[in-house]
Order: sequence, then structure tokens, then C-alpha cells
Amino acid sequence: MRSIQFIANLPAPWRVAAIAFAGALLISALLLAAGFSPLQALFVLIEQSLGNGNGLSEVVVRSVPLTLAGLGIAVAFRARVFNVGADGQIIFGAIGFVGFSLALPGLSGWVLLPLSMVAAIVGGGLWGGIAGVLRARYNANEIIVTIMLTYVAFQALGWAIRGPLQESAQIFPRSDAVPDGVLLGTMIEGTRLHWGLAIALLAVAATYVALRYTSFGFRLDAVGENPLAARFSGIRDRTMIALSLTISGGLAGLAGAVEIAGVHGRLQDAFAEGTGITAIAVALLARLNPLFIPLTALMFAVLSVGASGLQRQLGIPFPLVHIVEAIVILAFVIAGALQNADRGVRDA
Amino acid sequence: MGPARDAGAPLLELRGITKCFGRLTANDDISLRVSRGEVVGLLGENGAGKSTLMNVLSGLIQPDQGDISLTGKAVSFASPRDAVAAGIGMVHQHFMLVPTLSVIENIALGDRSLRLFPLDLSGIRDRLAKVSNQVGLEVDPDATVGRLGIGEQQRVEIARVLCHDARILILDEPTAVLTPEESTQLFEAVRSMAAAGTSVILISHKLDDIFGICSRVAVLRQGRKVLDAPLDETDRDALVHAMVGDTVSAPHGERVSPPGPPIVTVKDLRLKRDNGATLIDDLNVEVRAGEILGVAGIEGNGQRELAECIAGLRRPDAGEISYDGEPIYGSMTPRRLRQMGLRHITEDRHGTGILPDQPLSENHLLGHIRNPRFNRRSWLQRHAAKEATASIIDQYDVRAAGADAPMGSLSGGNQQKAVLGRELADGIRFLIAAHPTRGLDIRTIAFIQRQLLELRDAGVGILLISSDLNEIWRLSDTILVFGGGNAFGPVSAETTSLPEVGAWMAGHQ
Ligand SMILES: Nc1ncnc2c1ncn2[C@@H]1O[C@H](COP(=O)(O)OP(=O)(O)OP(=O)(O)O)[C@@H](O)[C@H]1O
Ligand SMILES: [Mg+2]
Repeated sequence: MRSIQFIANLPAPWRVAAIAFAGALLISALLLAAGFSPLQALFVLIEQSLGNGNGLSEVVVRSVPLTLAGLGIAVAFRARVFNVGADGQIIFGAIGFVGFSLALPGLSGWVLLPLSMVAAIVGGGLWGGIAGVLRARYNANEIIVTIMLTYVAFQALGWAIRGPLQESAQIFPRSDAVPDGVLLGTMIEGTRLHWGLAIALLAVAATYVALRYTSFGFRLDAVGENPLAARFSGIRDRTMIALSLTISGGLAGLAGAVEIAGVHGRLQDAFAEGTGITAIAVALLARLNPLFIPLTALMFAVLSVGASGLQRQLGIPFPLVHIVEAIVILAFVIAGALQNADRGVRDA
Repeated sequence: MGPARDAGAPLLELRGITKCFGRLTANDDISLRVSRGEVVGLLGENGAGKSTLMNVLSGLIQPDQGDISLTGKAVSFASPRDAVAAGIGMVHQHFMLVPTLSVIENIALGDRSLRLFPLDLSGIRDRLAKVSNQVGLEVDPDATVGRLGIGEQQRVEIARVLCHDARILILDEPTAVLTPEESTQLFEAVRSMAAAGTSVILISHKLDDIFGICSRVAVLRQGRKVLDAPLDETDRDALVHAMVGDTVSAPHGERVSPPGPPIVTVKDLRLKRDNGATLIDDLNVEVRAGEILGVAGIEGNGQRELAECIAGLRRPDAGEISYDGEPIYGSMTPRRLRQMGLRHITEDRHGTGILPDQPLSENHLLGHIRNPRFNRRSWLQRHAAKEATASIIDQYDVRAAGADAPMGSLSGGNQQKAVLGRELADGIRFLIAAHPTRGLDIRTIAFIQRQLLELRDAGVGILLISSDLNEIWRLSDTILVFGGGNAFGPVSAETTSLPEVGAWMAGHQ
């Protein structure tokens, strides 16, 4: 407690530095204890993600779903609603996308792709909306509800790719490949960089404008800051809360669709594992500002791509890699929170 | 008169305290001495710097210059904790309780002597029982704070500070939310504490408070101390003059035109408390255009609930309320009512009236988000909101750095002025005004009361809820009294008298 107090009393930049230092120490200790060199790990992490063209394009590809899901989380957070279930909404977005495009394979890609994207948004939006309605109507804690719904989504995915959506060959637990028409082609030849990046950037712009310049964004913020004051001014606070989770889920659903259409081409197990959780850190570190979200998404993409290099290059076991990743994310979140802690309270 | 001023080093001495917020100097070289057992009144207009000075003393903010000494020894407080440890306790103007916790838990918060494992609240419970007994402040230790009325919450705050053995007790506008009886009780308590050696600094806008219990009074004006004298060497006129540099006369409501058709009609209204007890029974009343209906009575007798029913925020248990002849419950929403000109100055400004972290202009938007002037096909018109805010700042003399200043950075009274400006702007036809002048200085009170009368003359219907009987009496055309589970009236102000209304308030028929 004392040391936290001490850190909290430092000026903001020092606080962040202190957290970064503590995080680095902890990671080094862990790696040393497991018999790996922290410096070498750091080198590999950077080299694998930023040190070559392949790694770089991989980083951008990874940042796309993080950006979309991060936007969704930011929208809900603006209304002080904590959507920790983006992973489930991503899954339902992907199921909507794959299910829809496989059901209507005859349509041309120009029609089918946008329609399937809409199906994904509806899928994710429904999954978020359930939590939203439960929170708005029955005051059910959205953190618990979204987590539980994520477990349900994981099971639903497992069932879908072993049941109704399983490939025609019925060998692997995965769906058939989606029609070529709905695949997002590569943006730059010779890389895996796909047009999902453009979709993500469009979504960034749209979310920014909606939050900053429209009455919707204002009402969302008002409900977030003081729901009763909003209600007394004629804003339907409960509706806004339900809506915020629905939109949040819709954006996560879009992330799922883009991941399928740009990377995997079909539904399979664990196709975007952990995206929804990392996206929370993405949104928080961007201080819920849509314009910063692609940047923080890139940072976490570097971490995630580099970390998988640790396993390949150094043979660091995956659990340890995940722990390292988690420590970095936590350090960022704490640093972000401490940065905000400067704003004082005032009585009168 | 208060207890004797005794000799020797003062218990507390503030020297040359200066505090700036940006370009604004909230405290400008202020010095103040407080002796043991002394009750010092601190007066000044809204935004004069009273709360700021006391926040410095209680460790909530750090001064830019100046120092504090206790019994001759220099001290400095990095946080409220340090100040509490030194025996300085403050009851803030805006309460700092955790609404989801019980009274006893709130009092236990921040108590370092408390044993946590296993948690033992019985010591605090005893202490609470003792102080609330001594002081005559009745509080239910197990009630959830968020469910208490605002006056009750205040009692909890005071009880909390008393439980922590304060040598110096700072009360920031404690009587603003208390009933006259509660104020009397509080003053009894303050007197007995002072007799036992506790010093008290009391901030108030009510001269009666100052003359009731203080032995010395200091007046701040625009951040400077302009007067500091034993009470028996000054008088009301001198204090008012020191505060506002002028004399203030209360407005009187000679009406110019008869009221128009009813705007709000309440028929056979019945309301129950959460626990099922009857709060309002078969109330029939109407408010006409160009009429002020004053609702007098001790707080917590259904006034707030009545206001919320009319605002479309709380469904009555029985009966009907209509606005412009249309039943409110059925087809109308709070949003629609607002568009039809209903405005609401709520009694709990922080809880239901403002967005404290947002600038004044965004707070203005909050009240007018459906107005096409600020919302053109869903696109916010922020520049229009800034203009509107700037003119309110001007018109209502809101002391703020500008339309971009966060609402929470304003002094309590200035927040109230900003809220009033927002609610009275643009197309008002009916106003629910719950304690509209609470926490305001005398000049601003006169200004607001004049505004209400002008609105009335312009044909606005007003439901005025106030626990200040004089305010009700001066402004109302019709009076309704809530008390002890009953409503008396409505009666025309012409056919009754002030003492009669006072007797109803006290529960005598
Ligand atoms: N944290 C802050 N940031 C910016 N300005 C502030 C801050 N705190 C106080 N002020 C300004 O300092 C001035 C003095 O405020 P203060 O709260 O001390 O007034 P007050 O005398 O208590 O008034 P009231 O009677 O209305 O409560 C006001 O103009 C207020 O806007
Ligand atoms: Mg004040």
C-alpha cells in the first residue's frame, strides 16, 4: 500500500516510468527464473515484429481486429458500461458472417460481402445487446453477464463447427471456406495485409465523428457521467445503456467478420483468441478516444506478434509468453489509470 | 453570546494564505486566527473563496503561499488525512459519503484505528451513539446512505467528523439543507462543543446563523478578507455591506395580471414510500399559468416525490397528473414534457442536475439537447451552446473562467446560478423549482426571487418547493403545506397568514 501511495504521489510521467520499470523487472525475473535471457527475449520480440517486412505486415494485420473491438469497448465505456465480453461478440459476428455467406453462395461478392458484414454486425450486436437489455432493465451487472455470455459463445462456436456449420467433408472441426466473393483481398501485394485495414480505419472515423459531433455521442457521455442528471433532462438513460452495449457488440462482430474474411477464410476454433480482452487495454490506453485506438492497437499488435516469436525462436513455453504479455498489458492499464488520477476532486 | 475568548497563543492561525486557480485568485493573502472554543463565522458572496480557504485548512488543496500553525507550531497538510490526524474535521458543502454503504460504514471509512480483521464496528457504533446523543443528531446507523434524504445525509457527515475527535470543526454551509429545528439542534450541539473547547468555523449565507452562535465573524470578498471583528462590534448592515458592497432589499410580488388556465393538474394523487407507508394521500391541486404554487414543509414529506411525478419521472400509486390537459402517465415522456416547456431545478444538484467534469457549455447542452438551436438533425451545435452559456454567465453573474470552465470548478452558489440559467432559458412554460435559492448569497437570492416573479408575470406556472417559509410566503400565490404525512391546502395566500402556515408546518391543524 505504501509503495502504491508513493508512486501515486509522483508527477505523472514519473509514475508511468515507475510502472514500466516495475513491469520490466517482474518480467526479467520471471524469464531468468525459467532460464531465459531477458535481453535476448526483448531483442527477439522487437526483431520478430518490427525487424522485418513480414513481421511489420503481421503487426498491422493483428491490429485490425484489435482496433475494431477496441472501438466497440470504447463506445460502451463512454457510457460507463464495461464490456468485457467482446470475445463472445466477435464469435457471434463471425458465425453471422460465415453462416450468411455460406447460406447464399449464389450472390455476387459485391452484394454478398456487405450483406454478410451486416449479418456479422447484427450477430455481435445481438450478443452485446442481450447484456445491454439485462443491464438496462434488471440492473444486472454487465461485467458478469458479458463474461458469462462469452463462455456461452465459446461453446456455441464449438458446436457450430462440429454441427450445423461443419465442413462438407466432415473431417475437421471447421466450416467450409467462405465464397471467394466475400474474402477481403490483399491491399499490398506479397503481404497478408488485407482490406480489413480500410474497414477498420473507416470505422475509426465514423466512431470518432459519432462520439464527438452528434447528439448520440453527447447523450452517451452524459449517461456515463451522471445517469440521473441525464434522465432528469429527458435522456432515456436505460435505452442509451442498452444501445451502447449493442453498438459495442456490433463493432466486435465486425472485428470477427474481418478476421474471417481477411485472414482465416473459414470458421475455426480459437480464430481470434484473446482479442476481446486485449482490446480492453487498447481502448483504455487510448483514453476511449477513437483516434488513438489504432495507435494503441498497433502497440499491442507488436507485443502479440513479437511474443509469438519468442516461442518460435527461443522456445519459451506459451504459458510463460502469455504471462509476459499479460504483465505488459497490466502495466499499460495501470499507467493509463494513474495518468488520469491527476484530476482532482472538488467539493462545492 | 458564545464562550469566552481566552488569552494565549491561538489554537489555529492562518497566515497569508494565497491560492490561485489559473488566472483566478480564489484566496488572496488571507490571515485568520481561531482560539480554543471560539465559534467563528465566515461570510461572503458566492465564489468569495470561503470553501477554498477551508479546503486549504482541511488539507484538500495546497496553498500557493502562506502557512498554518496549530498552537504556535507550523503544520502542513499534504492530504485531508493529515488534517484529520491534527484534529481538523470538515463537513463539506457537497457531501462526500459513499451512497451504497451504510451510515456506520461511512463513518468507519478513513478511520485508521479501526481493526479490519475481523471487522469490528461496535466501537464506532458506540461512539456514534454517544455523539448523536450529545449533539441531538438522530441518525440510524444501519440505513443505507443513498436512501437518506439530503438533510439526513448532512447529519451523518457531521456525526462522522464528531466521531473522529475534531479539535477544530469546519462546517461549510451546514444550515443550507437543515430545517429550522435541525438548525437549532445543530447550534445547541455547536454550543456544547465550544464549551468543551472545540473550535468551530461556520460558513453560512444566513446572518441569523452568524448572530445565533458565532462570537466572531470574518467576511471574504473576491478572495480577500475585508472584515474581521467580534460579533458584538458589528451589525447586520455592516456585514451585508462588507459582503456585497451595497444594501440588498428583498423583492415583493405585487402581481400585475390574473393567472391563466391551469398547466399542471394533480387529481387524487396517492404516493407511497418504498416501504409502503403513505407519503401523499389524495392530493388535488393545480398550477395555473402565471401562478406560483408554494409547497412549504419540512423536507422528506413528499415534496421531492411530487416534483418527480410532475416531471414524468415517477409513476404515482394512484391518481392522475396532466400537463396542458394531457395525462402525463400514458403518453408523455420526460423528454416530451421538456419540449413542452417543463423545466426542473432539482433539489440535489450534484446527483441529478449537473455533469461536474464537463464544461458549462456542455452542461447547457444537457438541458437543451432536443432544441434545434443546439441539435440540428443530430449534429451538435457547440458554438451555439457556448454563446448561450456566455450570455447566461453574463446575465446571472456566474463567476466562472468562461463557458469552457468545468461545472465542478465553480463554487456551489455559482453552480446553482448556472443551473438556473440553463433551466430558465429557451421556451420555459412551467418550472419546478426545488430549493432554488439554497446556498446562494443574499444578493443572488434577491436576484433569483425577482426572476421567479418576472417569470410568473410572463405567464409561467411555477411549483416552488422550499423549506424557507419566508421565501414561500413572499413569492407564492397559493400555498400547500406538507407535513407529518398530511398535506394542508392548497389555500390562497390572501386568505391565510404566515403564523397559520407556520403552524401547519409544525403539524397543528
Ligand atoms: N478547483 C478549482 N478550479 C478552478 N477554479 C476553482 C476551483 N476551486 C475554486 N475555484 C474558484 O475559486 C473561487 C472561489 O470558490 P469557493 O468555492 O471558495 O467559493 P465560496 O466562497 O465557497 O462560494 P459559495 O458560497 O458559492 O460556496 C470561485 O470563483 C471558483 O470558481
Ligand atoms: Mg462554498
